[in-house]
Amino acid sequence: MAKVVSLDNLLASVAARRSEAAPWLGALIDAASEKFAHVGLPNRRIEAWRYSDLAKALHETVKVESDLDAPPALAEACVAAFENGVLDDSKSSYCAMGAQSLRKVLAEKDSPFAGIIGRINPQADHPIINLNTALMEEGLVLHVPKGVTLATPLHLRFNWSGVDAASADGRHLRILVVLDEDAEATLFESHDGAPSFATVVTELSLAPNSKLTHVRLENFAAAARQTAATVGSVGEKAAYRGFYFSQGGHFARHEALMKLAGEEADARIDAAYMVADKRHCDNTTVMDHAVPNTTSTQVFRGVLAGSSRGVYQGCVKVAQAAQKTDARQLSRAMLLSHRAEIVTKPELEIFADDVKCSHGATAGELDANALFFLRARGIPEAEARAMLVEAFLIEAMDTVENEAMRAIVIACAHTWMLRHAGEASHVE
Amino acid sequence: MLEIKDLHVNVFGKEILKGLSLTVPPGEVHAIMGPNGAGKSTTSYTLAGRAGYEVTGGEIDFYGEDVTALSPEERAAKGIFLAFQYPMEIPGVSTMNFLKTAMNAQAKLRNEPELDAAQFLRTVRAAAKELNISEDMLKRPLNVGFSGGEKKRNETLQMALLKPRLAILDEMDSGLDIDALKLVAEGVNKLRAPDRSFLVITHYQRLLDYIVPDVIHILSGGKIVMSGDKSLALQLEENGYDAVINKAA
Repeated sequence: MAKVVSLDNLLASVAARRSEAAPWLGALIDAASEKFAHVGLPNRRIEAWRYSDLAKALHETVKVESDLDAPPALAEACVAAFENGVLDDSKSSYCAMGAQSLRKVLAEKDSPFAGIIGRINPQADHPIINLNTALMEEGLVLHVPKGVTLATPLHLRFNWSGVDAASADGRHLRILVVLDEDAEATLFESHDGAPSFATVVTELSLAPNSKLTHVRLENFAAAARQTAATVGSVGEKAAYRGFYFSQGGHFARHEALMKLAGEEADARIDAAYMVADKRHCDNTTVMDHAVPNTTSTQVFRGVLAGSSRGVYQGCVKVAQAAQKTDARQLSRAMLLSHRAEIVTKPELEIFADDVKCSHGATAGELDANALFFLRARGIPEAEARAMLVEAFLIEAMDTVENEAMRAIVIACAHTWMLRHAGEASHVE
Repeated sequence: MLEIKDLHVNVFGKEILKGLSLTVPPGEVHAIMGPNGAGKSTTSYTLAGRAGYEVTGGEIDFYGEDVTALSPEERAAKGIFLAFQYPMEIPGVSTMNFLKTAMNAQAKLRNEPELDAAQFLRTVRAAAKELNISEDMLKRPLNVGFSGGEKKRNETLQMALLKPRLAILDEMDSGLDIDALKLVAEGVNKLRAPDRSFLVITHYQRLLDYIVPDVIHILSGGKIVMSGDKSLALQLEENGYDAVINKAA
């Protein structure tokens, strides 16, 4: 039985880590742990965590299923395999593309990444990122030099095959990806199984003219508790293309915190989430437009069954100098049951006067007319429901350009639909 | 053979059909005409098995079997086809994929072998060509961006492919100009067969110039008040529903 994650345990672990850290890392840990100790584990009294109470979720007992889905295998990728939060070199091939383990980087007295880790679009008051900085141990660092395009994707494969009894304070993983000018890379991040408590922070630095494609797949078991953040800075004429798929977990949150830091920077996120039973799935975004002429687009589509809860919090910030910002945001949710719930919270903080910012949110049921139409043509109800759910999500999944990744995403969606789309609901 | 016997139907707790009786033998085309609110759409939805159309009395016998307790998909597999007044637009489902799913689902429910991919393509292309439906339309999402005429041709295509024993055409002419109407009616007429009957539901006589019925029934106040041959439609056109119905009563 794993010990309950508590603030005291966490701070004791931080102190132990601090005593062994190199000076540059020690300074980072000190700043982060001081802030973290002040706030503690986030609960619903903190506005940004109002609909996702992590402190409460960590006190609830969860039951880990015995047969967990195997993590996806992406052909022709370099793999960094994390088994229960530990990088497993015997299953990995990341060295081939010049990546190195975070553990190695943190142990260095004077790392070239010392000035970068924790300093990309810094989030000084973020409780989880601070916790992660104070306790990060495992992870990966990838640097793509100027003008280089990585031909193969990097597959960050996180697999949690059982309760991590050895760790009373969870596992805190850190990924750092630095793209120099004109560099291009593709990240495929998959999360499977049931972490008892994990935080994953992915820091992305996109220099001018670089391009990063980032496909995230959360294919958790029901008992999973994870909160993750993708923190990025997008430079001049650089592009971030994110696709996020999630089927939630006991507690599953992902935040995309992107700073549009150079002119003509562009960030686009398409997302599909499918949540059933009593699962929770939180998508939180902050698009921070810091300079003129930048664009951001987010389209989130969710399907919620059972008594699940979905959360979408989308914040767009436009600095006073950031004229000609074009920011779009759309959240669409389909509720398959009366007990399912979606919370949508758009936030716009606009200090410039010549901008285009749009936001929209819809929540609806499966279209009863369309369902009857399909059934009247002889298509059985469960199959007709699955067709309509797929039709609703396919636009998002079609944005995944890499065929092998798209096939994996669509296969996950199909599995979900076989299990849940035909469930009885209130649609007559 | 469709035999509706003393059918009573409630919609949202209100009785709409109040003792409808009607028999359509194989191979015949029957028309149901009636003023607004008579229960025409209720009749078509009830026959197709839509939820919310509650049968409180009577029977719908289809080739000797009462189908009132069957789901829409089971009725479809028995050979009941409803051509919708307003066909649904379904973004995200390609017309081709929809046709294939529907044909295979019906084959499965009837314990018949599914078509292989090549057979399916050949069958659909041939039927589509007859109805002047382009390859491009088949690739597009179901009915999305289709004109009124294209939607009705698409309904006719589904009818041709699914080969029902009873086709119910619900206000087939709504939203069609005269050229589109002719094209759709031509498609329907080609499907007339000794083992297939049609129930044409319409407000206007116009459609019946092109799809000529064997029998016309007038529906009013939830039941059939009058039946006759095609000349009945002309009487209605000349004198209006009120005069004809009052004369009958």
